[in-house]
This record gives sequence, C-alpha cells and structure tokens, in this order.
Amino acid sequence: MVEALLDPSTLTSILLIAISGTLICIAVHFVPVGGAPAAMAQATGIGTGTVELAAGSGLVGLITASYMNANVPDAPMALILGAGAMGSMIMISSAMFVGGLIYAYGVGVPFASAQIKRDPFTGTRQDIYMSKGTQGQGLPTICFVSGVIGAGLGGIGGALIYYVLYGIYEPLISPTSAAAVAGVFTVGVFYVNAVIPSYGVGGTIEGFHDPKFRRVLPKDTVTSFVVSLISGVVAVLIAGGMVT
Amino acid sequence: MSDHKDIPPNTLMLFGVIGGLIGIYLTYFSYISPYFSIAGALGAICAVIWGADAVRRVAKYGLGTGVPSIGQIALGMGIVASMFGLAIVKPLPLAGPIVALITASLIGLIIGLFAQYVIKMKIPVMVRCMTEIAAAGSIIIVGYSAAVAGNFEFVSSIIPRVFDNGIILVVFWAGAVAILHPFNATLGPDETQKRLIYIAGSTGAITMTIIGIASTMTLGAVGGVTVVLGIILWVIFYKKFWDEVYKDSASVVGTGLIPKTEA
Repeated sequence: MVEALLDPSTLTSILLIAISGTLICIAVHFVPVGGAPAAMAQATGIGTGTVELAAGSGLVGLITASYMNANVPDAPMALILGAGAMGSMIMISSAMFVGGLIYAYGVGVPFASAQIKRDPFTGTRQDIYMSKGTQGQGLPTICFVSGVIGAGLGGIGGALIYYVLYGIYEPLISPTSAAAVAGVFTVGVFYVNAVIPSYGVGGTIEGFHDPKFRRVLPKDTVTSFVVSLISGVVAVLIAGGMVT
Repeated sequence: MSDHKDIPPNTLMLFGVIGGLIGIYLTYFSYISPYFSIAGALGAICAVIWGADAVRRVAKYGLGTGVPSIGQIALGMGIVASMFGLAIVKPLPLAGPIVALITASLIGLIIGLFAQYVIKMKIPVMVRCMTEIAAAGSIIIVGYSAAVAGNFEFVSSIIPRVFDNGIILVVFWAGAVAILHPFNATLGPDETQKRLIYIAGSTGAITMTIIGIASTMTLGAVGGVTVVLGIILWVIFYKKFWDEVYKDSASVVGTGLIPKTEA
C-alpha cells in the first residue's frame, strides 16, 4: 500500500487535492461575509455565515463541473475547472445582487465599507455614508468584486477535487458510483475547508481589502493545506478498497 | 438555575461510542433477519446525543461563526473518515466501523490542534471536543447509512444503496442538523444539559424517520418499521423535552435589567 502511495501519479493526485482544499480556504476569505450583524444591516457583507456562503456557491460550482464532466466526452481539466468557477461565480453574484436589492430598497441603507476610505473601483468616499455605530452596510463595489473572485477560486477548488477523484475511481467502479463517491467526498472536504477559515476570521470579513485578510490568511492556509493533504491521502486509499 | 448535576462527558462518550458501535455491528446480522438493520439508526441516535453534548461544551465558549459551522465540519470530517474506514478494510469488513471511528478521531484531533495552536482560537476544550465531534460524526454517517443499506460493506452495499441514489446527502444533511440543532436551539443563559439531551434524542429520532422513508426504497418493508419506530422515539423524546421546558420555565426568576454593554 505504501509503495502504491509513492507512485508519481498518485502523489500528483494527492497534491492536487491538497491544493484544491487550500484554494477553497483562500476563497472563503474573499467572500464578503457579514454574519448576523450584516443581517441587521450593521456590518458590510451578505447577512449569513461563512460556511453557508462558501458552501452554497461552491456546491453550485460542483454541480456545473460535474455536469460538464458527464456531458462532454473526455473533457479537458481546464473546461471542468472553468465550469466550476463559472457556476460558483453566477451563484454568489445572484446572492449578492438580490441581497443588494434588499439592502438598498428594503432596508434602505447606502452601501459603505468600514475598512477603506475610498472604493478603489468607483472612487466614492465611504466613511461619510456610514451610519453611526455600524461597521458599514450593504455591499459596496469592492466587496462585490472580492466576492466574485472568491467564488471563482472556490469553484475551481471544488471542481479540481471532483475531477481528480472521478479520474481515480472511474476505472474501478461504475461511472454513476464514481461520480457519487467523488461528489460526496468533495462535499466533505469542502465543508471542512469552509469552516477552518471561518474560525480564523471569526465570523465576518469584508473581502481582500479587509486588514483581517492579511492577518489570518497565512495560518488558515497552512491549516487547510495540512488537513487537505490528509484528505488527499485518505481519498487515494479509498480506491484501494474498491479494487475487485 | 438548575440544581441537578450534568452527566460527565466521559459517560456520554462511552454511551455514544459503545451504543453507536453495538447498533452498527447489529446490522451485520441483517442476513439472518433484515430487521437488524434498524439497529444502525438506533446506534446513530446514541452518537447524536453524544455529539450534541460535545457541541454544547465547545460552542459555549462562542465560536464567532455560529453553532451550525461546527455541525457541518463534524459531518464533513465524519464522511471523509467513514468512507475511508469502510473502504480500506476489504479483507476484514468487520473492522470497518472501528477504523472509521479511529480515522475520524485522528482527523478531528489534527483539526482541533491546528484550531487551537495555529489559528489560536483559545478555547481550552477545543482539541478534545473536535475529536469527539468528528468521531460522533463518523458513527452518525455509518449508522444511518447502514440502516439504509442493510449492512456496512462499502463496495457491495453502501455504494449501490446509499451513494448511487443520493441518499448519502440526506444522511449528511439531516445528520448535521441533528448534531448542531440541539445546542443552537437551546443556547442562552439558562440552558441545561437535560433539555439538550432530550432535544438531541428527538432530532436523532426524526432523522431516523427520514432515513426510514429512504430505506423503504432500498430495503422495502423494514423501512416502514424504521419510520414507525422513529416517530415513536421522536414523540417520547419531544414530550420529555416539553416537560423539561415547562419545569424549568417555572423556576425562571427576575434577572434584572439588560446590562448596558454587551458581554
């Protein structure tokens, strides 16, 4: 079993899974997560938890990636990763757009970020629009852009795990079973890697312009890489149990 | 507010591990009578109660991300470890659930150590609770899956009967909610372990009912028995929770005004 693990192609698979897990972890830091304060329009971001947002967009990416994998014969890796990224980005954009509509026309707050003085994309001043006692509100342009980047990374990460695992399991069991096992394993790895950064950021983060981003990213990435590496080894060893 | 003593964590851990494993191993005898597969779900309920208490102990410190995150990471670790544990022991399928439990504990231990010493969450019980939660997660996954598949052989039973038709996602989600909901629903200044344990029993039982509906697809009539048993257990646990809430609410006294600054 040990010599099988040291095979170059197996090592590549394990490393790819570890990288994808890390990508998911990095992706979560980009998503503007506001948690409960944002749900009351007292902080910038979408008003729900890190895990829900990361998993929600990532799982849509997984669906689009697996759809591409199932319907395009011998699809190249780039196509599947692209499909995953696209699905995630569409999902998070819709979530942020609808959230933005509700913040603007339902709650009635101007969008403002508490972490920067001027939005680098629109050049609008932020601090004068911030309500007293809040940490910004709504989804300013920079948060939206950051969220789309994050979803893209997360989608690529999820799609990459799926692609690698499907390739490992497909020769051993039926394609349906291989897709199911690879998909469920991806969901498991996704959840673990979505929760780790949420502990690091402590519930809320605005995006890549947030000072928290630079502070917590390194240690979250290390944790996520190690955990994903273990997951990768485990995933490859599962294939050993499928050989008939 | 309550004057009774909490059940110690070790007792609940033994209850979860032994009860869970007995339940899972009883499903092995389903070749004698298919009704043995119901025991898998009963074992999973033991693990739900244990896991919910572990969630309570760690989430009391405030995770900053809400209680649901820990239920989801538990089942995420649990599902990875269970698939590994059940698949790896091909020459000796009987060892599967134990290997899954050990693997889950190891993954949980590593994540707990990283959360404590690298991410620096500063929660003293983090390492222990993360290990317990992951282990409970793996028993929940294996237990409910075995109740649907009839036994716990990975390639011959669990893949065709639980993975191919997508029931594993029901096991995953309903299992995650079963473990995270009890503390999420009862947390607050006056929460007690007793209420948590009863509501954990009821979420475990309602998950068993859902699993029963799923297993009517795979095992036929046995699933119906699982549904009925699940509903009976749910009514029992929920009634106990209800009574406990009534008893505790009678003892609520004035706590003064809300403090000016939030703790």
